[in-house]
Amino acid sequence: MTRQQILGWTQRNGLFFALAILIAIFSILSSRFLTVPNFTVILLQNAVIGLIVVPGAMLILCGLVDLSVGSVAVLSAVVFGQAMASGLGLPVSLLIGLAVGAAWGAFNGYLIAIQGFSPIIITLGGLAGARGLAEFVTQGYTTYGYGREFAFLGNGKLLGVPVPIILFAIVFLIGLHLWYRAPLGRHMIAVGGAKDTAAEIGIKVKLIPFWLYVASGLAAALGGLIIASQLDGAAVTIGTGMELEVLTAILLGGVSFTGGRGSLFGVLFGLLFVGVLSNGLVQVNVSPYFEQVAIGAALCGAAALDMLYQRLERLNVPVENEPIEAPQAGEAR
Amino acid sequence: MSAPVLELRSLSKSFGPVHAVKTVSLAAHAGEVIGLIGDNGAGKSTLTRMIAGAIRPDQGDIIVNGRKEHFETAQDARRAGIETVFQTLALVPGLDIVENIFLGRELLLPGATGRATRTMDVAAMRQRVEEGYQRFGLNLPDMRTKVAALSGGQRQVVAIARAVLWGSGVVVLDEPTAALGVKQTELVLSFIERLRSHKVAVIFISHNMQHVMRVADRVCVLRLGRKVHDGPMSKLSGTDLVALMTGAATAAQ
Ligand SMILES: Nc1ncnc2c1ncn2[C@@H]1O[C@H](COP(=O)(O)OP(=O)(O)O)[C@@H](O)[C@H]1O
Ligand SMILES: [Mg+2]
Repeated sequence: MTRQQILGWTQRNGLFFALAILIAIFSILSSRFLTVPNFTVILLQNAVIGLIVVPGAMLILCGLVDLSVGSVAVLSAVVFGQAMASGLGLPVSLLIGLAVGAAWGAFNGYLIAIQGFSPIIITLGGLAGARGLAEFVTQGYTTYGYGREFAFLGNGKLLGVPVPIILFAIVFLIGLHLWYRAPLGRHMIAVGGAKDTAAEIGIKVKLIPFWLYVASGLAAALGGLIIASQLDGAAVTIGTGMELEVLTAILLGGVSFTGGRGSLFGVLFGLLFVGVLSNGLVQVNVSPYFEQVAIGAALCGAAALDMLYQRLERLNVPVENEPIEAPQAGEAR
Repeated sequence: MSAPVLELRSLSKSFGPVHAVKTVSLAAHAGEVIGLIGDNGAGKSTLTRMIAGAIRPDQGDIIVNGRKEHFETAQDARRAGIETVFQTLALVPGLDIVENIFLGRELLLPGATGRATRTMDVAAMRQRVEEGYQRFGLNLPDMRTKVAALSGGQRQVVAIARAVLWGSGVVVLDEPTAALGVKQTELVLSFIERLRSHKVAVIFISHNMQHVMRVADRVCVLRLGRKVHDGPMSKLSGTDLVALMTGAATAAQ
C-alpha cells in the first residue's frame, strides 16, 4: 500500500476504530456494558437524533445547516397534542403534526435555498421562533394521555425491536441509498463544494437544498412525535439542545462544515460514538458532567485530525511540477 | 466536402453600443480542427457563448446537422451535440474523474426499478470511461482519482474528454492552454490532435499562435467582432496571422 492509500484508509475507518476501542475499554470496565439490552438502550436513546441526523448531514454536505430542528420538533409535538385534545383523532392529528414540520422545512428551504438568505440566521430564527410559537400554542397547558395506539410509536416493539430504532433504521437506509447509490449524493457534493459549477452543469442547486430542508423539518417532526409518545405528553421541553446533538454527530462523523465532503457511514459512527460514550461513562460511574467534557474533547480531536489529513493529502497530491510558463516567440500580445 | 456538423450564419451580438460579434459565418466539419483566433476583445468568447447557449444571438442562425436551433440554455446546446469547455472547466474537485464525467447525466440501472429508485449503474459508467481512456489513449491517472489531485493540464484533458465522451459532434474549447505551463500545454495539445481522427469537429480558441498553428487544419481570424480571414492553416505563417489579428494586413474572406 502506498502512503496515500494508508492515509485514505485510516481517514475512512479511523472513527470506526476509535469506536471499537471505546467499546473495548467500557467492556473491560463494566460487565453490563457489552450486552444486547444495553446496546438496545444506546440505540433507543439515539434513534430520534439519528433520524434527524440523516437529512441534517445532507444539508451540511450541501454547505447548509438546520438549527431549527429541536424547536420544530416541539412545535410539531404540541400542535399534535392540541389536535388530539380538540378531538380530531389520532390519524389526522399525526398528519397535522408532520405537516407542521414539513411546512416549517419548506419555509426554511424557500428563504434559504430559493431566496438565498443565510442558513444560520434563518434557522437560528426558527430555533427561537418555533419554540416561542410552541409555548404560545400550549398557553402553559401541556396536553397528555393520547392512548395506547400512539404509545406504540415511542414504546412499541416489532419482532422485539423498539419502533423508534426501526424508524431510524429505515431513514438511515434510505439515506445510504441516496448518498451512495443515487445521483443525489454526487449532486450534493457538487452543490456543497462547487456551487457555480454545479449550476452550470445543470444540477438543481436550489431544489435539492429546498427538499432537504423539507426532509429535515419532517424528520424533526417525527422525532418530536416519538418523544411525545414516549412521554405520553407534549411537553414544551421536547427537543431542547437537539440541534447541537445533531451537529455533534455530523461533524464528529467527519462531514466538512463548509460542505462538499463527508460520508454517511462516518456520521453513523459519530452518532454511535457519542451514544456509547455517554452510556459507558454512566456505566462506569463517571460524573455526568464529565460526559460533556469528553464529547467536547472528541470533537476537537476530530477537527484536529481532519486538518491533519487535509494537510497530508495536499502534500501527497500526485501532480507533476508545472514549469512556469516561459514567454514564447510569436505569441500574440 | 460533406455537410457541416455546425454552421453559423451571420451571427451578430451587441452589448449596448459594443458590437461584440458582427455577421460572423462559420462552418465546421467532422474531423476538422478549426483555430479561432483574435486579439483580446475580438469577440471570441461572445461567439463561443452563443454557440454554447449561454447567450442568445441578436441576429443570425445556428444550424446543427442541418437543423436550425434556438438555444435557450446551455443544456439545449449540449442536447443538440455541442459541448463547450470554458476556462472555468466546470469540474468539481471533490469528485473523481468518472463522477465528474457523468455529473448531472448519471447512468441509471436499466429497467423500471432502476428508474424508480434512481439507482446508478456505477459499473457501466466506469466501463464507458475505461473505453474512453483506451480509445483516446488518455494520459491520465486512475479514473477514481479526485479531480482535486490533478494538475491543470490533466483537468483540462478531463474536461475535454468529458465533452468528447458524450458523443457530441462539436467540441468548442475556449483558451484551453491559456493558464498552463509548457508540459501541461503539451498534454492538452496532443490530446486535441488525437481528436481529429475521431470524427469530432473541434473549434479551438486561442490567442497563442504557436498552439493554433500546431493543431488547427483551418484558421479563422476575428478582429473587432468581424471575421477577417478563414482558410487552410498550411498557407499561413505566424507573421501572417499576427498581421491579420492586428489589422496590419487584410485577407479576402
Ligand atoms: N457581457 C458583456 N457585457 C458588455 N460587453 C461585453 C460583454 N461580453 C463581452 N463584451 C464586449 O464585447 C467585446 C468582445 O468580447 P469577447 O467576446 O470577450 O472577446 P475575446 O474573447 O475575443 O477577448 C469586448 O469589447 C467586450 O468588452
Ligand atoms: Mg475571451
